[in-house]
Amino acid sequence: MTIFLASVGFGLITAAVLAIASVAFTLQFAVTNVLNLAFAAIMTFGMFVTYWVNQAGVSVWLGLIIAMAACAALSVVLNLVVYAPFQRRGSSPITIVIVSLGMALIIEFGIQAYVGGVNVSYTMGQGTTYKIGGLILTTVQLVIIAISVVMMVAVYALLNYTKLGKSMRATAANRTLARNCGIRTSRVITTTWAMTGALCGLAGTVFAIDIASFGPTSTDLFVVLILAAVFLGGPGHAYGAMLGALLIGLSTDVSAAYIQPDYKYVIAFVALLAMLAVRPSGLFGARA
Amino acid sequence: MYYLITIVVYASVDVMSCLGLSMQFGIGGVTNFGFIIFQAAGAYTAAILALPPDTANGGFQSYLGGLHLPFPLPWIGAAVAGAALALPFTFLVGRRLRGDYAAVGLLVTAVLMNLLVMNYKPLFNGDAGLAIVPAPLQSQVMTTTTTAYQWGFAIAVVLLAGLVYWFLRHITESPYGRTLRAMRDNDQVADSLGKDLRSLRTGMLLLGGAIAGLSGAALVSFISVWSPAAWTYAETIVLFAAVIIGGRGNHLGAVLGAVIVPVGFEESTRLIANANPSLPPNLLPSLQWVAIGLLVALFLWFRPQGILPERKREITLPGSTARAGLAPAAATSVAPTGATLPMTSAGPVPMTSAGPVPMTSEGPVSSAASAISTDPAVPMGPAAGHDVVLQAIDVSRDFGGVHAVSGVSLAVRRGTLTGLIGPNGAGKSTLLALLAGTDNVSAGQIMYHGQDVTRVPAYRRARMGLVRTFQLASEFKRLTVLENLLSAAPGNRGDTFHGAVAGRRYWGKDEAAAIAKAAAILTRFGLEPLANEYAGDLSGGQRRLVEIMRALMTEPQMLLLDEPMAGVHPELARRIGRALVELCSEGMTILMVEHELAIMDEFCDPVIVMADGTVLAEGTMTELRDRTEVVEAYLVG
Repeated sequence: MTIFLASVGFGLITAAVLAIASVAFTLQFAVTNVLNLAFAAIMTFGMFVTYWVNQAGVSVWLGLIIAMAACAALSVVLNLVVYAPFQRRGSSPITIVIVSLGMALIIEFGIQAYVGGVNVSYTMGQGTTYKIGGLILTTVQLVIIAISVVMMVAVYALLNYTKLGKSMRATAANRTLARNCGIRTSRVITTTWAMTGALCGLAGTVFAIDIASFGPTSTDLFVVLILAAVFLGGPGHAYGAMLGALLIGLSTDVSAAYIQPDYKYVIAFVALLAMLAVRPSGLFGARA
Repeated sequence: MYYLITIVVYASVDVMSCLGLSMQFGIGGVTNFGFIIFQAAGAYTAAILALPPDTANGGFQSYLGGLHLPFPLPWIGAAVAGAALALPFTFLVGRRLRGDYAAVGLLVTAVLMNLLVMNYKPLFNGDAGLAIVPAPLQSQVMTTTTTAYQWGFAIAVVLLAGLVYWFLRHITESPYGRTLRAMRDNDQVADSLGKDLRSLRTGMLLLGGAIAGLSGAALVSFISVWSPAAWTYAETIVLFAAVIIGGRGNHLGAVLGAVIVPVGFEESTRLIANANPSLPPNLLPSLQWVAIGLLVALFLWFRPQGILPERKREITLPGSTARAGLAPAAATSVAPTGATLPMTSAGPVPMTSAGPVPMTSEGPVSSAASAISTDPAVPMGPAAGHDVVLQAIDVSRDFGGVHAVSGVSLAVRRGTLTGLIGPNGAGKSTLLALLAGTDNVSAGQIMYHGQDVTRVPAYRRARMGLVRTFQLASEFKRLTVLENLLSAAPGNRGDTFHGAVAGRRYWGKDEAAAIAKAAAILTRFGLEPLANEYAGDLSGGQRRLVEIMRALMTEPQMLLLDEPMAGVHPELARRIGRALVELCSEGMTILMVEHELAIMDEFCDPVIVMADGTVLAEGTMTELRDRTEVVEAYLVG
């Protein structure tokens, strides 16, 4: 029972980190129509921006804010310089996926060329350890979960109660129609890149805090979890991604307690392929 | 010397894998981001088939099998394993799944397979991999370390790569290869022309998997070790980079790309690293990946066709070759050459004179197609009766809560050019999609020749003679006009994998007949001079024409045309209209969606009016003009 509860604790943190990344990924895809496989590489960029700031003696939490700004800027630039021109030219979705893989290589290995291959850690305390009904969580872990919950609520509020959120949904549903209804879709798209890019930087930093020791290739496997969560909920569905992240995060970590930890990704993998086979539009999507 | 041999072997292995990928991606349009796992599987299979049982070496490594088979068998096993591994993934390449989703699925598979292999010791010996894999013929030639043996190995692998190149070219230049390229350019349209996408893509996964497996076998036999760390998904991106840079859709380009990217990059970085030993160890490999990412993006932007672009397949029309006295293919068959002179035979050229040709041919596909095309041959013709060909009974289609089509019943009679008009959003295109099978009904029944086809998929309806065109231009861009037409010819014996393997002698006659038929249709529509132009380079109106001609190539009994004259120059639209009327007088049945009332006036009888997903009225245009509800629907709608 204690193993189970401890693994639930790990699962909750994984799910919290995963939810931020998955919601950002799925919103990005829905609004901009780019299946951005460079997402994990931008997360890596974010975690290293925080690291560099942290190395200069600044708190991780301030570094996190700077990393969010940096990743937002990088995402916007990536869209303006690379993805948007390809889309304007009418490139096929698969071409853009290949381009995004190329961008992933450039960013990830550009960082590796700069920092080298060794793993590093942030300088920070973990805070007090709490035991809540069998769950063992540190202050920092509770903060990560809190950040994630706040972000989910914020995304919900954004999509439902703000003009920007509604414009985003309209752009996602039909870009041409949205433009003809007076929505400045290019501005909505740029804003979406900035917003999801910031969330990406946030996800990268909290991911690095969670795994404690990280390197330039640490997100290589995490991207599998993101894709699994996104496809489980249905690509482009924000709430689907939240649910997907919770399911994938919990199931991988709980299963890791009972089987060899290295196989925990298999669950995500099976979930992803099963969804692609049976219901490519996801749990939340319309019937295929 | 050894260095040179190594490079030759590595280059040949890379050439083989790039060729496999070029076939899948460049020709078939299947983006297999998991390509590397097929190569790894082949390499592992070759290793365990060649190795003695794992107890033989003191059991320091564990693996399956250990059959200790003599040389060619492990390599053959590797190819089989590569192909077998493709089977579980065929569900990813079906009709429903978007290409980029399938690619993501394969990418994740590649990442996870690698992870599993690294960690599961009993089966794959974990991340240590396998060592001391015997070289081919090791027991026969006493020592395998001599330069002579090494050179022999290198030359054999070069020859093998050459054989792979020859074989893939052989397949690509067949009607089957043309069908693959058509699917690559527009899969939905290929589907509507009767191509079975799932089986075509499965074929590509199997073929590419087999080649990947073979290349893996060659590599593992040479270096004698199999290490899972060497087969990460990023290696697939290197191969993709090679194919994109070399030239998609051109196997020579794949060969060139293999020499430039995997070989050239690896070797140049190693040379630089040797020259500057003070550099940090991680720097050059990292920069190499950055450079590959940059190259992929830059090539896709500045030269998407690659260094060696896809070759244009120019085919000389039989009419013009006959004059020159060449006619290599067409001269063999007598019947179709008659059809190439359509000016003399004013009658129903494509329907009757070219029609019987595929019926005489055998083969699994053609027999099915001809069985269907025999039955209308009797009642067809100018004097055909006005019986119902296609009937919709209370057909509905809902999208969420929207009733795009609700309770539509209509009947289209043989030999008529029936018009379908209605305001925007009336449900015309949806209805057409339901009739053709590209979309499924929510309720109701569709009868074709009195047979219930409601649950028959689009490609099967197309094979039954019910063929549609699309509202948006849907030509196969990187096929010539003539190839566009040929791709639709039913029952070509070369349009299957085994037909393609059998070669030109097997399918040459069918191809010649198809070319003759295409020539006749091109003449009828006056597009002969453009036969060898890329369809993507034509004007909008000409492309619509290509689409109609291509539909005619399938020997349809009924055509469903979605706004064939939209955006077409009025003069060309007239010509299309007249040609359609002529076709109907020869026994064809056509249902045509059109916005332009003048066109309806001139060519269509009867005309069906739709509004808000229902049929409002039916009659001649003159009759309809007097009906107030029709006028209102147009004014209000």
